[in-house]
Amino acid sequence: MTLPAVDKRKQPEHGHRSPARAFTSKSAAGLAIGLAIVALFAVVRVLAPSTPETLGLPNAARDFATLSISVVVESLPFVFLGIVLSIAVQVWLPEGMLLRRLPRSPVLRRLVLSLLGMLLPVCECGNVPLARGLVVKGLTVAESMTFLFAAPILNPVTIVTTAQAFGWNNGILVSRVLGGFFIANLVGWIYSRHPRPGELLTARFQETCNVADHDGGAAGKVRRSVQMFSQETRAMMPALFIGAGMAGLIQVAVSREVLVALGSNPVWSVLALMLLAFVVAICSNVDAFFILSFGATFMPGGIVAFLVFGPMIDVKMLALMRTTFTAKTLLQLSLLVALCAAVLGLAVNYGH
Amino acid sequence: MVIRRLVGRWQGVVLSLIGLIATIWLGLTGQLALYIHPRYFVFTVIMAVIAGVLALAAFALAPTAKDEHGHNDGDGHEHDGDAHARNDGHGSRWGWLWPLGSVLTIVAAVVALLILPPSTLTTATVAQRDLNGSASALTLKAPALPGKGDYSAFTVRDWASLLRSGAGQDFFADKTATVTGFISADKTDPNVFFVTRFVVTCCAVDAQPIGVPVYHPGWQNEFKTDSWVTLTSSFRANPNPASREAIVLIPHTINPTAQPAQPYVY
Repeated sequence: MTLPAVDKRKQPEHGHRSPARAFTSKSAAGLAIGLAIVALFAVVRVLAPSTPETLGLPNAARDFATLSISVVVESLPFVFLGIVLSIAVQVWLPEGMLLRRLPRSPVLRRLVLSLLGMLLPVCECGNVPLARGLVVKGLTVAESMTFLFAAPILNPVTIVTTAQAFGWNNGILVSRVLGGFFIANLVGWIYSRHPRPGELLTARFQETCNVADHDGGAAGKVRRSVQMFSQETRAMMPALFIGAGMAGLIQVAVSREVLVALGSNPVWSVLALMLLAFVVAICSNVDAFFILSFGATFMPGGIVAFLVFGPMIDVKMLALMRTTFTAKTLLQLSLLVALCAAVLGLAVNYGH
Repeated sequence: MVIRRLVGRWQGVVLSLIGLIATIWLGLTGQLALYIHPRYFVFTVIMAVIAGVLALAAFALAPTAKDEHGHNDGDGHEHDGDAHARNDGHGSRWGWLWPLGSVLTIVAAVVALLILPPSTLTTATVAQRDLNGSASALTLKAPALPGKGDYSAFTVRDWASLLRSGAGQDFFADKTATVTGFISADKTDPNVFFVTRFVVTCCAVDAQPIGVPVYHPGWQNEFKTDSWVTLTSSFRANPNPASREAIVLIPHTINPTAQPAQPYVY
């Protein structure tokens, strides 16, 4: 590995020691530290007790751990995929390749962006790093929201699984796809009127956006990709772990029977299922199967509200989006999306 | 200050390593099924390996102190510690909370993913989620009835579906079931327990408990809830007509067994 030309230019003070050699020995040392940490973790994992009974934990504590771990294990690959795509968009895609081809008119731009999910069948947790990457590349905040909310629903995998689960029954599929599309664009339109969109973002993320990145050459790009990986994981991983812990805790604490009991009332079924969607924090790709397993007890409007609200807002997504948007913005977004989803669900319940 | 910078820079990579080492280890030891549906196994392991390469590269290509000096306004994340110090009350009073929280997150991740033994869901979740309550975890895959009356391949799920579908006593009169599952108590009838499994559609979070009722007075003295059993029995009418379960298994013998490699059904 050679030192990127750019770095030589930037650090003339490296002086008499060959910068290239210093760099090589340093990266060897860094790699050794990394491998040592990997080895340490692997040894801990292999030596740790292997039967659950040995620790004598109460069942509820065991289930809390199992549920939280399952959220992490399930979401982790999607988050990594989102980060890799985000790096690809930011570093490897020719400048302006994606954004310059979008239509000029803001409304049309958002319409096209909400269909971007068709090309990127990532589930919602992977969309957060990708949306961050797009904002750094010049997407407006409002447009990033449209993408974030539309992509998990207008997504081939989600549409296929919803169709498999419900077919054309009760207009659930159509309401989900069109409703998601409409809400995402409505949110984008509302926030495009914000006078100072920068204030919607956290101070931390704003700084990331202001980074000027002009390193040329393949070596410089590799370096930036790797730095971006550690930067994005630092934002995403704590959020994912904390979100997973909260999801696990709520599952153990809130009895599901109460929610299911509310399912057959046209109003309560909508509200109860939105609460369920918020609590279970399940991937949009498979949530149709999940809710189908409750199908008989709930009214179709409740199911639609679940399928529209869940991919946009839930415990895990809020934790992940908090890396990018301010708490106030997220509160507004949650209320707005919840209101739209509730209206949609009630319309389906009373409409047919 | 040093700790804050170290934690600030490496937190994400270290958490990633914890997650992906746990994932790969679960994959190698065949225990991923405790947490996610088998259809995700390949994707999950591939992404873990890719992330592992990137994480090691992050260690190898870490920016040096001089680099940081060089592009001070180039590397946004170098300011992070300071940015937080600013946000959290000028760094002095509450600034220490941030690295503390980060360290706690890492410790929690190590304990949960690297130290705790992997475990299935237990009867605590069965109680939480209403056994056989979710109609179509059962009816979604209504079993095809075998032509020659060979029901040996039927699982807990198949039998629970049939019971749920309201097939009458005549239908079950000549059927013999062999089922494996863990024991969970019937909330209303102390003489009945359920041979229970979880149905998983995506990951353990959405697990739905299903079960076949077994009439065995005094089962509490022989077995603990959560222990795994296999039993073979024919179906009978429940001797207790007041019970919610009209048709039950009444086995002669109940054999304790080990938890199967795939504890969930799909």
